[in-house]
Amino acid sequence: MSGVLFGDRELHAIAERALRAAAGDQAEALIIGKTGSLTRFANSAIHQNVTSREAELRVRVVVGTRRATATTNRLDDDGLRRAAELASDLARRAPEDPTYPGLPAPRPIPSAPSAYVEKTAEATPLDRARAAKTLCDKASAVKLIAAGFVATNVQEIAVASTLGTWAYAPQTYAEAQIAAIGDDGSAFAQRVSTDVTSLDVEGAAAEAVGKAAIAQHPRDLAPDTYEVVLTPYAVRDMVGFLGMQLSGLAVEEGRSFVGGKIGQKVTGPITLVEDPYDSRSIPRAFDFEGQPSERLTLIEDGVARAVVYDSVTAHRNNAVNTGHAQPFVGLPAPMHVRLEAGDKTREQLVAGVKKGVLVTRFHYTRWVHQLRTIVTGMTRDGTFAILDGEIAHPVKNFRFTQSYHEALGEVRGISKDLSLLVTGEQFGLMTSCQRVPALHLGAFTFTGATRY
Amino acid sequence: MTIPAFAVERDLAKRALDTARTRGATYADVRFVRRDEENALVKNGRLDAVDRSDSFGFGVRAMADGAWGFAASQIVAAQEADRVGALAVEIAKASALTKKRDATLAPVDAVRATYETPLDVDPFTLSFDDRLKLLMNAEARMRERKGLRTTRAAYAVWREDKLFVSSEGADIAQRLTEVGGGIAAEAVGNGELQIRTYPDGLRYQNAGGWEILTRWDLIGNAERVADEAVALLSAKPCPQDTITSVILSGNQLSLHCHESCGHPIELDRALGSEAAFAGTSFLTPDKLGTFRYGSSQVNIRIDATSEGGLGTFGFDDEGVPASEGWAVKEGIFVGYLMSRETAAALGTRSNGTMRADGWARVPIIRMTNVSVMPGDAGTLDDLIADTDDGILMDTNRSWSIDDKRFNFQFGTEVGWEIKNGKRRDMVRNPTYTGLTPEFWGSCDAICSESEWVMWGTPNCGKGQPGQGAHTGHGAAPARFRDVRVGVIK
Repeated sequence: MSGVLFGDRELHAIAERALRAAAGDQAEALIIGKTGSLTRFANSAIHQNVTSREAELRVRVVVGTRRATATTNRLDDDGLRRAAELASDLARRAPEDPTYPGLPAPRPIPSAPSAYVEKTAEATPLDRARAAKTLCDKASAVKLIAAGFVATNVQEIAVASTLGTWAYAPQTYAEAQIAAIGDDGSAFAQRVSTDVTSLDVEGAAAEAVGKAAIAQHPRDLAPDTYEVVLTPYAVRDMVGFLGMQLSGLAVEEGRSFVGGKIGQKVTGPITLVEDPYDSRSIPRAFDFEGQPSERLTLIEDGVARAVVYDSVTAHRNNAVNTGHAQPFVGLPAPMHVRLEAGDKTREQLVAGVKKGVLVTRFHYTRWVHQLRTIVTGMTRDGTFAILDGEIAHPVKNFRFTQSYHEALGEVRGISKDLSLLVTGEQFGLMTSCQRVPALHLGAFTFTGATRY
Repeated sequence: MTIPAFAVERDLAKRALDTARTRGATYADVRFVRRDEENALVKNGRLDAVDRSDSFGFGVRAMADGAWGFAASQIVAAQEADRVGALAVEIAKASALTKKRDATLAPVDAVRATYETPLDVDPFTLSFDDRLKLLMNAEARMRERKGLRTTRAAYAVWREDKLFVSSEGADIAQRLTEVGGGIAAEAVGNGELQIRTYPDGLRYQNAGGWEILTRWDLIGNAERVADEAVALLSAKPCPQDTITSVILSGNQLSLHCHESCGHPIELDRALGSEAAFAGTSFLTPDKLGTFRYGSSQVNIRIDATSEGGLGTFGFDDEGVPASEGWAVKEGIFVGYLMSRETAAALGTRSNGTMRADGWARVPIIRMTNVSVMPGDAGTLDDLIADTDDGILMDTNRSWSIDDKRFNFQFGTEVGWEIKNGKRRDMVRNPTYTGLTPEFWGSCDAICSESEWVMWGTPNCGKGQPGQGAHTGHGAAPARFRDVRVGVIK
């Protein structure tokens, strides 16, 4: 490894050495490299400041219909050979699996906009510390406490196989998060960009600090079913949970709300698109099996249209592989979801609410009932009562227990601006991003409250 | 002795420390970590996945200009040790840009020591065929039951060899070994998806050897697990929005303890370090020693020496020896999980709870073994017999708690109504919710030591960048009065 990146040529050479050492009918090498740097602050001072440079190889060996994988971060000849031999040995000992189709044959990979920005890859500790200081200073100036982080990340994904697959993409992204905390209330903001020079740190500070100023001294509001305006931070959570159920595997296992309902109405008038080629996301044209990722409309104006597959689930379900394998083999998922924009400003969304609640962010959300998409969680960092189209006052945080797709059954407004957000770490890698708007929903059920 | 000698790594660690000192570090430590894992999943009669992995590298933590920096690399070579040592100091100096006061460390004796997890059967010396056979047989037994959509059986074997060397003279080598696994049956129908697992999701795990998994008799419990999953499809719903008595199984109580006691007693949370992400804690330092956390029945222990616990080790990742003490004693909050830095803020010494997720992450405060100690209520059957009206809830399915660890809601895989001291009808989708001190305050009975099991959470998330931790939680079934149950219809 020299410089920030391994690069196409070096990763191809590593993959070739691993594939040569594998003893099976087929073999695949997935290499993930990442340099992640994160400057974390709390109580308006940096308290953790870290960087790590990691790269690992996963080699998958197929013997007949048997297969196994081995993963290592030892990328010298000994390490590669040992991993290939381990995977080969495990594959030979594995039982036959008549449902296994073998590795996917290579297919042409369309070009996608580049998600790699040199300046992000080259950001220094001092660059991140200065951005963190900006966030801390903006909060301190109005006697608020700042907590959050500034991060810059560069990652490389490469896939090769003995069938001739080769796919490589470098990606960068920078991220800033801030919670501005007062004596009796807080607010949150987040920004993500592939280009650190475009990361809107000032905007994040202004959003969190401005909202925190009106979030102090929250009042009690009885838990009930209310109209809500959800900021993109909360909408991202909903899209993330629903995305998990929009896969062929979820349908096969009987846990998807769209199972048996393709072509039917499943939500209100929203359109959810899986778009790996969206230049304003963090695009990547292939999946973790090196297969081209399709752009798919998952839900169109409320009607279920498609789910995503990887090679294994597609074969088992007699479907077309859409190119959505994740690093964990056999768990396909959408990785570039966009909830299409509407025609309203965020202010207009609030103005449309007679009596309701503005939610900035959800916290600790978990399935209660997957098939019905019922999720529980808390609100945090800025929850407000809305009365007659205006934010009336902050309220204490709620617990909600709500079917996410049913909540989308009554969409009363969608903002015209989308926010890019990231989630989903696997192998220390960012695997998925979302672009989502703010939403005005007709009914959302809060089932409890807390004391702050 | 099977702990590696770490001869090369020790030399590189000293080199990195020298570089850090030369560049201006007033304190530094180096951890070399090698992790080996094997995970296997059998699903619907086929081996769905098996992966053998290893990861090796080192991390340097440095304090300079009164602030912290951390850098890590997997290139184990002299030049890289120099680069990473210098980079940790460069990062620390950048951190000082926002410094309000110098970071300080509570004292610790710098020791040369080793530690190794005791075990009977080394899981890495067993043949893969032997490991796999257990899963295949247990999963096949479940599939004999008609009406299941998905059956799974999984195991995890895990080992970490690590060397800790500090600028204060510590030199500690450890080998930690863990084994875990379980079985799961899922049934789909009547608009329901229901699951039963044994012994605790697919995430049961303990420190030790292969004997940990074989003692649970996965095959012997497979038929019952399958039957219960199918039965849940036609079971009646949990009573809705009702106040009643709840008996929690030991594995459910262990997770409840993890979320509502283990996390809020992390002193870094209480001091605000996690405020933007995982959250803070309602157990603020002014409450230490006086706050009534639960009833007098409630005793919660912090013990990094417990047999089999996922938080059992010789020394934490700051070189502080494993310790034992109390978080809650007879219902009163009396103790935090601490690091050297946070302990200094309270004017005390660390109790050794700093742990990192491998070589590439900085140590942060993590639970060791935080356990609800047994009471005197006898067996689970005794406790049921002593309960007129209520619900027994078994094995976690859903969990959520607010960012101060106050308002919680849990769901379990299965429940059974209790009427007049007898276990009656099965109920599906059981949930319960409440506020932490009120809930623990309503605990009026905990089963005796014979029912106490060291459970574990091998997937506890915290920190940014994200870190996973393995934490231990001993618990026995316990009863709570006046609990709100039945949140979903």
